[in-house]
Amino acid sequence: MFRNIILTTALGLSITHLSYAQAENVPINGVVQSRCIIQTDNPGTFGNPNAYTLTTSSADGGEDAIIRFDVSLADAYYAEITAPTAFSSSPSLPDTVTWTGDTEVHAVSDATGMGSYETNKIELGMTDKYDLTATGSTWFKTSSTATLGGSKAFPGGNYTALVVAECIAQ
Amino acid sequence: MKQMIMAMIAVFFVSSVQAHEMTPTYPKLEPSHLDGLLVTTMQMFNKRADVEYYEIAVFDKEWNPVPFVTSYNIIKLDYLGKVTFDVYIRKNDRQRVGYICSRSKLRKESTVRTAVTSRICSKFK
Repeated sequence: MFRNIILTTALGLSITHLSYAQAENVPINGVVQSRCIIQTDNPGTFGNPNAYTLTTSSADGGEDAIIRFDVSLADAYYAEITAPTAFSSSPSLPDTVTWTGDTEVHAVSDATGMGSYETNKIELGMTDKYDLTATGSTWFKTSSTATLGGSKAFPGGNYTALVVAECIAQ
Repeated sequence: MKQMIMAMIAVFFVSSVQAHEMTPTYPKLEPSHLDGLLVTTMQMFNKRADVEYYEIAVFDKEWNPVPFVTSYNIIKLDYLGKVTFDVYIRKNDRQRVGYICSRSKLRKESTVRTAVTSRICSKFK
């Protein structure tokens, strides 16, 4: 009788232990699609080195816009980046504004595959077009300078200008 | 103390990275339940904290606008939000349709700065 109780208890314990030993596989599903992601690492800031100039130059207290393109499919996208050609918001200005600006490759994740991006770019006015021939990340730096005509002073107020970053499937 | 401030600044810059994403790269038009219309389904993800609205547009291969219908032409998409939306195009436009694009819409800001408006275009092949 006592032996039977011990055996039953041992069997029960072993079943309990079996239940502890069970494992569950929980799948986390995901699909990697070819895509282009545009990231704004730094939207940029204008410095005001003199009364009639706003510039993103760091020497004048500004910051260039830094935009990152992540591409997961080679030869599938163009990057087109356009430096500002007008203020999207500003006070009323007493004269016309002359704009200069440029975009260049700031950094790349794959020096071999992306090393020729800067030399192969196509410049169309203020727009620079890059053929994204490799997968990975490319950081572009856009500078901008606005000069008010007649060396007149920019009126006090808030100024915003837009950099347009486009990723267009080929 | 100085290291702590530097770390906080680093965290701020890492967390301020902002992204806009639209898939698929090459959408396909399929017959819809509506007579005379084709449909394709797109997905968009907003990781731009400074953007709440995206405008959808459809163009031909020469970048001329093509008529289309979505639930909303301007889609409200909260930060870290994902949206799936259908774009309907007339069957007659099937041959000339070239791109579907989404463009970020920015609010006026109260600082002296530049801002980045992002546009991603998928292509019909």
